[in-house]
This record gives sequence, C-alpha cells and structure tokens, in this order.
Amino acid sequence: MPTLPSSIAQSKLDRRLFLRSALATIALPSLEAFAAPAAGAPRPKNFIGIGTYLGWHQKAFFPKQTGPDYDLPLTLTPLRDQRADFTIFSGLDHRAPNGHDAWSNFLCGTTPGAYSLDQRIADSIGQQTRFPSFELTAGAGEVARAMSFTRQGIGLPMIQRPSVLYKKLFMSKADRARTEYLLRSGQSSLDLVLADAMRLQKALPQRDREKLDEYFESFRSVEKRMGRQLETINDPVPQPSYKLPNYDPITPNLQIEAETILYDLMALALETGSTRVMTLFLHGLGQVFSFEGEALSAGYHGLSHHGNDPKMIQDLVTIETAHIHCFSGFLKQLKQKKSPDGRSLFDDTVVLLGTGMGDASRHSNANLPTLVAGGGFKHGSHLAIDPSKPDAPLLGDLYLTLMQRLGMEVDAFSNASRNLNQLFSA
Amino acid sequence: MPVAPITRLLFAALIAAPALGAAPTPLPAEVQAMLSENCLECHDAASQKGDISLEFDAIDWSDSQQLDTWLRAFAAIDQGLMPPPKRPRPKASEKAAILSFLDQAFLTQIPIGGTPPRRLNHSEYEQTIRQLCHLPDFTLPVGFPNDTALHGFDNLAEDLVLSPSHLEAYSQVATSIADEIFPPQKPTPTPRSWTASPADLVLSFSAATVHGDALRLVSRSPDIMRSCTWPSKIEIQDSGTYRITIAASQFLSKTGHDFKGPMRLQVRARPVTATDRSRIEAFRLLKDIEITTETPATTSFDADLYTGETLIFWWANAEMTHSHAELAEHFRQWFSKDPHFLAAWQKAVFPRFPADDIRNANTTTLRGRNGWDKVSKSWADPQLDLSQASMDSRMTKAFLEIADSLQGTFNVADALCHFYHENGPALELHQVTLEGPSKLVQSPADLARKTLQERFTGPRQEGQSHADIARAMLSRFLPRAFRRPVDDSTLDTYLSLATRHWGEGHSLDEGLHLLLRQILISPRFLYRSLDPREGPMDDFDLATRLAYFLTSGPPDATLIDLAQRKRLNPDWVLRREAERLLPSKESAPFIQRFVGQWLDTATLHGIMPDPKFNFSETSVELAKRETERFFLEMLLQDLPMTDFIDPDFTFSTISFIQSNYGFTPPIAKQLGAKLDATERQRFMKIKLDRGGRHGGLLGQAAIMMATANGVDTQPVIRGVWVLENILGMPPPPPPKNVPALTPDTQGTSTPREQLSAHTEATACAGCHRRIDPIGFVLENYDPVGRWRTEWPGINTRIDPSGILPDGTAIRDAAEFKAWLLKNIDLFSTCLAEKLMTYATGRVLNYAERREIGTIVKTNHQNGNRFRQLLLALIDSQTFRTR
Repeated sequence: MPTLPSSIAQSKLDRRLFLRSALATIALPSLEAFAAPAAGAPRPKNFIGIGTYLGWHQKAFFPKQTGPDYDLPLTLTPLRDQRADFTIFSGLDHRAPNGHDAWSNFLCGTTPGAYSLDQRIADSIGQQTRFPSFELTAGAGEVARAMSFTRQGIGLPMIQRPSVLYKKLFMSKADRARTEYLLRSGQSSLDLVLADAMRLQKALPQRDREKLDEYFESFRSVEKRMGRQLETINDPVPQPSYKLPNYDPITPNLQIEAETILYDLMALALETGSTRVMTLFLHGLGQVFSFEGEALSAGYHGLSHHGNDPKMIQDLVTIETAHIHCFSGFLKQLKQKKSPDGRSLFDDTVVLLGTGMGDASRHSNANLPTLVAGGGFKHGSHLAIDPSKPDAPLLGDLYLTLMQRLGMEVDAFSNASRNLNQLFSA
Repeated sequence: MPVAPITRLLFAALIAAPALGAAPTPLPAEVQAMLSENCLECHDAASQKGDISLEFDAIDWSDSQQLDTWLRAFAAIDQGLMPPPKRPRPKASEKAAILSFLDQAFLTQIPIGGTPPRRLNHSEYEQTIRQLCHLPDFTLPVGFPNDTALHGFDNLAEDLVLSPSHLEAYSQVATSIADEIFPPQKPTPTPRSWTASPADLVLSFSAATVHGDALRLVSRSPDIMRSCTWPSKIEIQDSGTYRITIAASQFLSKTGHDFKGPMRLQVRARPVTATDRSRIEAFRLLKDIEITTETPATTSFDADLYTGETLIFWWANAEMTHSHAELAEHFRQWFSKDPHFLAAWQKAVFPRFPADDIRNANTTTLRGRNGWDKVSKSWADPQLDLSQASMDSRMTKAFLEIADSLQGTFNVADALCHFYHENGPALELHQVTLEGPSKLVQSPADLARKTLQERFTGPRQEGQSHADIARAMLSRFLPRAFRRPVDDSTLDTYLSLATRHWGEGHSLDEGLHLLLRQILISPRFLYRSLDPREGPMDDFDLATRLAYFLTSGPPDATLIDLAQRKRLNPDWVLRREAERLLPSKESAPFIQRFVGQWLDTATLHGIMPDPKFNFSETSVELAKRETERFFLEMLLQDLPMTDFIDPDFTFSTISFIQSNYGFTPPIAKQLGAKLDATERQRFMKIKLDRGGRHGGLLGQAAIMMATANGVDTQPVIRGVWVLENILGMPPPPPPKNVPALTPDTQGTSTPREQLSAHTEATACAGCHRRIDPIGFVLENYDPVGRWRTEWPGINTRIDPSGILPDGTAIRDAAEFKAWLLKNIDLFSTCLAEKLMTYATGRVLNYAERREIGTIVKTNHQNGNRFRQLLLALIDSQTFRTR
C-alpha cells in the first residue's frame, strides 16, 4: 500500500475533499453524466502527454494545502500567473511495483508496456489528421526506450531531433518531392511484385495459399494507404515563419533548449491541425545543466539520487522548475493560439503532465505527481486523494475522465474501471 | 476463438494429411469389441462424456474432429489415463491391439511434412539482410512489429502472421536499405562557419567547469563523460575538409603543485550520436596540440570531418585520473602530507565522523561539486577533528578502499575533479571555431559504399549500359534474395521495371534503388518454404532449412554452391555441412535463439530478483551464460544425453559457484595463492561431483530463475515447465472455470497444504498428480537457484518428496535426477522434438513424432551422444520434407 508523502501527511487535510474523493469511487450510472462539456461548449479534441523519466520531487511539486487556496509549490512557481488553468493531483498512481522497469507505466497503467493512454486516444481520434500521433523526446538516455505503446505492446520510437519533426510537419519542397517520388515509383512497380506473388500462390496447395492470403490482404491495405498519401501530398502544407536553430539540440545538456523548441513545434502542430495526439518525454542522464551561466553541482541523474541532501535537492528542483518554465510557455501559446476552426487551442486540448516515477531517489512508483491543464475542465485546485483508503481512485480513473472528455466511450483502463468525473469536471 | 494447445497440435496433424479424399478405414472386429467393452459405456454417441464419442465403424479421415478424437483416444489409452483409475483395466492384449491398429492407421494416413509458407522472423530477417546486403551492423528499427511465439518458439510458420503494419514496416525498411546502398543525391553545400564559446561546450558530470571566459578540463579518464567536453551545437552535414581554430591556455596550480612541461590537448572527431559512455580511443584523432602558455594562444589546422561528427577535446596528460588504482595512490600520497585534507574527506564520507562505524561510509551525496564543497569547507576549518587522520586509522583504510573500487571512483573522483577545477592544474579552452568545407571529401562511409555497390553490380566496366549493370546486379542478387535459381523471364520482368524508370528520366542509381526496394518486399524474399512439390525438398530448400536452423541466416556460399551442383542431398554431405555450421560460441544465434526459448534463458533479463537475494545484473548474465555454455559443450564434445541431467562439470566463475551453489570447487583449492579477484571472476569449465544438487539443467540458476518470478517459487509452474520442457509431456491447460492455484510460499500454511486441494479434487487431480510432485521436488531451489531447506517466512522444513507419474516414489532432487537418468529417452525425445519444431517451423504430427522416437532409440543404442542425435535428426525424413 503506498504511503502518504510526508508533505501531505503533515498538511491539514481538507476533510470535505476526502469525502468527495470517496464518493468518486462509486461507479457512475452514465459515462456521459459528468464528462460532458458545459452546455453548448464543444468537446476538446487534442491530447498532449508529458512525462519525466526521473519523476518530480514530490515535496516541491505537491502543495501543502488542498483545494483552491494552496501556496504555490516551488517547482510550479513559473505557473504563478496561470493558476486558474491547471489542476494538481496527489495520491494517484497505478499500484505498480517499484523499480526501474516500472517507469514506463506512466501512460500504461499497472503493466509497463501495455497499450498506452495516448495510443488509445490516437486510435480513437487521431485518424482524421495527417499524423495520427507524434512521440517526442527532449534529451536521450539509454534505459527508457519508449513511453508510448501500441495495442500490441510495441514501444514506439521517439523523435528526438526538432528538425525531423519540423520536416514531417512542414515538409519542404525537396522533402515532399522525395516522398512523392518514393510513393509513385513504388506504387507503379507494385503491380509487378503482385503479379509475381500471384504466380507463386497459384502453384501452392490450398492451405498454403491461405497462408499467403495474409500477404495479399496486407498488400492491398498498404496500396490504399499509399494512394491516400499521394492524394494529400500536394495539399498546401502550412509554412510557418518559425525558424529552427541551425543545429539540433540533441546533446543532453541542451535538453531545456530542445524542450522549448519542441513545445513551439507542438503548438504549431495543433494550430495547423496536423495532428491531435502528442507525447513528450523528458529524459534524464548525467548531463550537467547551467542556468544563467552557473553550473549545477551534479548531473541530472546524480541529483535525482539526492539521498535527501538539501543542496542536491535544491539543484534538482532547479531543473524541474526549468521544465515547468518551458511548460508554462507552452500553455501560454495554447491560450493565444486558435484551432483551425477558430476555437481556443487551450480549451481544445487536454494536457497531462506527470511521470511513472514517484520518487527517483528510492525508485518508488507510488504517489505520482500529476497535473492536468486545458480541455475545458474547471481548474485551479489541488485535488488530494487519500491512497490509504481501500477504494481510493487510481491514476487510471483520472485517465478515464480525460478520455471520456475527449468523447471516447471507455469505462476501463488497466486496473481502473471508474473515473474522477465527480471530482473533476467542466 | 482460442484453441487449446492440444487441439491445435492435433489439428496441425490433420492439416498435414493430403489424404482428405482417402477412403474411411474400417475398425476391425477386435478393436470394436475392445471399445465397446471398455469405453463405450461413457463414450458412446448418446452419452459423449467429455464431448468424446468413440462409437464408429470406421475412421473417417475427412472429418477433422473425428481424427482429433482418435489421436486423443490413442494418447489416453497409451498413457493409461483411460479408462479412468476406478474402472477395470483393459487386458494387455486388447490394449496392444487397439494401439497397434491406430498406430498403423495414423502412419498410413498422416504423411510426414507440411510446413506452410514461413515468414522470416525478426532475427532471421536481420541476419538475412546482414548477409545478403553486406550490411554487418544491420538491425531492424525500434518499434518494428514483434513476432508471436505460441508454441514455445518464435519461428513457426503458422504463428508468423503478416499484418498490414508488417508489410508497411518491411517497405520502409527496404527503402532505408536501398538508401544505404544507393543514396539519393545531396545538394552541393555552401561553406559556413561555427563558433563555440565555453557556454556552447558540454559539461558532463564533473569533467568540465566554466570560469569566466574559459572552460577547464582536469581529468585524463578515458571515459569521455568523466573527462571531455565537446561543442553541442556543431554537427557536420557534409564530409569535407574544415579549418579548426582553437584558443587554449594553461591554468596552473595555486597550491604550489606545478605542472611540468606542455599540456597536450587532443582534438578528436566524435559522431554526435555516439553514446556518452564511449571511451576516448573510439574517436579519430585529428590533432595533438601542445599548450605551453598561461595566456590564451591560438592554433589553427585543417582536418577532415565527416557527416554527423563534431569535435571532442581531451587533455591527454592531465594529472587527475579516474583510474581507481592510481586515484587511491594519489590520495595516499596526499593524505600522508596533509592530515587536514585526510580528515576533510573522512568527514564528508562518514556521516557520524569522527566516531563512526566504517560500514556507514556513504559517497552517494558526494556527487559532483556538492561533494567537493563539503570537503573544502572542512579542509579550511581550523577546528577540524584530526583524531582519525593517521594513515593507519581504520577510517583512512576504509576510505582508500572506497577510492580503490569501481563504484567508489565515480563519486570520490568526481568530487576531487572540483579541487582541480578550482586550484589547477587545468587546461583552459577559450574558443573553438570551425569553417568549411573548403573541399568535399569522401568519408570512410562513402568509400565503403563504393565497394558495397560493386558487390551488388560487379566491378563497373567501360562501355556498360544501364541495362548491363542492372542485369549484372539482378543475376547476382535475385537468386540470393529468393534463395533459389531465378529463371530468365523473372529476371527480365524486374529489369523492365528499371528500364521503364530510366525511360522516365531517372538516374542509374535511382533505377537500382527501385529494384532493391521491390525485391525486398517480394514474398519470395519474405517467406521460405514456398516450393509446392511433394516429397523431399530439393537441394536449395534443404540448404535454406539447414542454414536457418543452425545459423538463423540464409545459406552461405558453400551451401549455395553445393545446392547448385545438387550435391547437398547425400546423407554424408548433409551431415558434414551440418557439422560445419554448428555454433562455436554461446553467443551464436542457434544457442541464443534455440536455448533461449527452449530453456527460457532469453527471459531472464526481464526477471528482477528481489533485492534480498542480492542477485545483480552480472549474476543474471552469469546464470544465463552457464546454461548456454553448458549446452554448447554438450554439443561440441558430443557428450552422452545423460550429462544433460547429471554431468561432472559446469561453466561459471568460482565466485558464482561459491555464492550461489554454496560450495568451493576443487579448482579453487588447486589455485591456492593464485586465487585472486581476477581468477575468482574468470568464467571457466568447473569440475563437479556427479549426483550432487547442482550440475545439469535441473538446479542451474538460470532455469530455477526462469521457472520462478524473482520473488518466490511456485511449484505448479516449475512442475508444468519440467513436464513440458524436460519430459515432453505437457499437461493440458487448466479448465477455464477454475482459478489458477499458485500458492504464495511466503504465506502462513505450507505450500503443500495449500496445494493438497488440487490433488484431492477430482477435476484437478488428473493433471496435478503429475505436476505437483515434480514442482515440489525442486522446492529446495530458491528463486535464483540457491539451495534452501526451509520455506521462507514460515520456518517450515521443505518436504520435497513425492510420487512420479509412473508410481516411483522419490525423496529429493537427487533421486529425481536418478529417475531421469533411468528414463533418459523421455528427455532425449523431448529435446529432439523441440529441436525439430524449431528446425521445421511446424508442430510435429503423429508420423513425425514416431520417426523421432525411432531416431532417439537408435541413437541410444549407439552410445546416446548428443551431437550424433542432432545429426541424425537433420538426416531424417521429417527434416528433409517441407
């Protein structure tokens, strides 16, 4: 059973809130009852998931007070002017075992590598856009290889170079020509491969022919997709005035810079309606960050194993605050920008920020720091869940609320089968 | 609808029968009499107990369900499971009559062979591309769709489905392979320049710090992340000659610790994407510069840099090092001169200094500058307690031991780096500029590509037309890609594709690129086992089956040559070629893929042993290697099959044997004084006494781990595993409406008490009387294979005794092994069937199992050697038939 972090245990808990959270554990009669947007407002249609590899230092992330009148915790100070735009959750997790490997359960629920939240959403609402989803990473490391997993449990590779994402989003003339060339030349020669495959199949006994049918079915599906791509390849692609630097910030110490650029591109991707689902992974290795010319006392990974040394914690929180600083800029962009249909991008987008690592210093996966912004939810509070209650809601219950909000008819996610609609709504 | 394994197996047997139109085989009178006397009371058409009816006059071969029923009936009668225990036994002569009738009927009607088209699996595809396209480092991209392993191996034709996402992924991979060999033309670059100041240079761990306008380097550790810096915003796009200008200076000691002679700054070329865990010698040296002045001096030189590279800087003759032996010596000299310095480090490392237990030493909070801040504060403190600051105090010795250990070095040395950053000597970098390219050069990758292209098209000759070149490529490449000779019309069809492409105005390379892309998505490349002819496979398919079986890759030049000359078929040639392809190292694909899946060593890295077992990643690796190397030895030395169960050797390190198997092997005593740390960790063949607890597959740490979960043991899982993988009698899956009974051996009542439920309940007893005793006899092995005598948590002595399926009573693991030795053919048959399933890519049918059974018996009579068994299997009809 996860224990309450001391920062929460010590604070005066809002009894009313706990009562309400206990209510939230009662299965609701209708999925739509609470997840529906306020009258007249259309549903949000984008989803952004952001996760750190090394977690968020809990004492600097969770407010001491619950409800709306909390003192802003240190890590979240860059969000001081945006308090009405987000909600902090404490006491939620997936009840997953501890250890390195469990990290990747951030979006997967209790089983690392299971069908992840973002991919479920992409499979449901991502098909209408040019790109069903993007998986991005700022910084690279060697341990964690994926944050998003397909229905089949395949870990999706992440794009690390902003220039690669930029090229996909705003394909240059030369890139478009190359893609079109590959598609056209490939398509026109498919007939030959197909004719040869058919000759081959004809010679085979019946049961072997059935085996090769898999090939033909796949073939037709690929052919169709190529056709679709070719149809849209010359559609006008948005050409933003945004200028990338002339290098890719992929060395780990440029992580914050990479993050800033990736957030810019993510906002542009949503604004241009290029995709609806994106995840951003914030990796952590031994890189030493410098802030305002001053280098921190140790590398990011080293700091996360702070062993409660106050100086190391201070430096760790400095990095995490820098992450939130970038995040704050992203939320501001969403506020300013509009969807292609003229709605506020902020209300149109459900933003989840969290991690699968509850406490990197101990490799504990309990009580995961979690924050939700946008999506037309009523924000501004710290919602504390008491995980010691036997029927306490799980992080998966929050995910159900987010999915329902996006219009998905779901009532189960990993080990969760309820939702937080009663606590967290429009 | 999910199909239970047993039905699947039998269904496969039916599929293998082309005799779909065969006339029904009537049941002889004595068989009908036996059935009606012993079986039909429950299994007549009216009762159909267990959905089984045996009320027939004949076997109808066109009815798959009926055939399934007969095969199950055969197994049940043969193993004595039917009639059930409470019913009277049939007479031996009756039993023999029906078994012999069914056996003959099956053998006549179920022919050997029948592997459907078999897609290359993940590792076979990789190995194929490596050999076929001469790309030895090729790997499939992360995120490539996985294969499924439904019957214990991931290379079975039926299970290797091809989905649209597979084909899409194959198509993308084909394009990237073609890009690698015939890359698209790049636009001509325009020269430019980059400037990097200290702020643009990477600070990694404690390797570098910035002071004013200079970046300081202090260590000569070959681990770049501990010693080097590199520009983070430079990445060469075009291989070419560049002008590099560097401003650097010396920063000398403030503490009278002068550095003699010039400082040697090495400038090397580092691929941007190289891992930070690289060592400096992995990178190409561009220039060795001597830095002699304390004011910045500028050096310029020209060097070739290749696509994707940046620079990296290393101070080759720094005083500071991260090597633990040197580091400890360094501290020793320092401490003997300066007790204050010594006490300052003691205080930083021992939390309750000066009166601390030396076991409390903690260096984790020493990481980086934070650690040095603590040390330097104490160092400057005149009140510092010097009571422990003698060279022979326990604390000093403990500290030096930490400094002289791999783990200690990171934290202690990183903290010490900051002493040098503050006080020198350090090497200072002020600015780096890069201009170019002044001319384009061919990178080694470009040059290698030229050679690579010639391997595809043959050496280019004067006056060759596009079509000549493409024809040369196709006639070399197509037969290798398709693993068979290719007729002229097929070759011409492909050639026409390229001709049409050139006709549309595309270049020679674009045409070849297109050919490669299309060939690599043809089913003739993606699948093997495509030849529709019945009977034994031809030499090409035989070569392919042999090569993928033993090497996970396509046939090599020798095999292709033999196939072309139709010389592979004779048994002595096939056996000779098989011997040639046998693995010589445990890292070989055959060992990794076959043993990894048969004995589940491939799953070990996913199991996290509970910290209480103190079983590190290295231990896991050793456990895995022991089993793999052991299997290899059995094969290479052609040892008797009984050695799989009770050998007189294993492979491991002395240290692992001592800590995990709990005894000191004789070799340790022989080594005597020579038994140092290196010798203790050396992986070697170690002699064992036969008949002991350890040695042989059962009791090897890897197998005991793979059959537990890292935390506790579950007798049912081990029992099922042994039945399936050692004895070859897999029990059917548990009935669906019964929850799995896997007792928690850490609970309060003993696992035996918990499990007694299953051997009593009639629904469970049939199987669990076979499963549970085998599970319990292995309970003395904990989840990492260590011997234990009590169940953890409940302090109850483990009772491993039990009764085996044939009624033999055994007291412990040693007696179980003795029983296995007496019944070694059970194990040999099991292993032989696993090998053949892996080799042929199909679930074996009745006739094939019969052939294998005969081979095992014959081999037993001829000395029961493992390699001989493997060769006989390769020479079998089962292997030689598609």
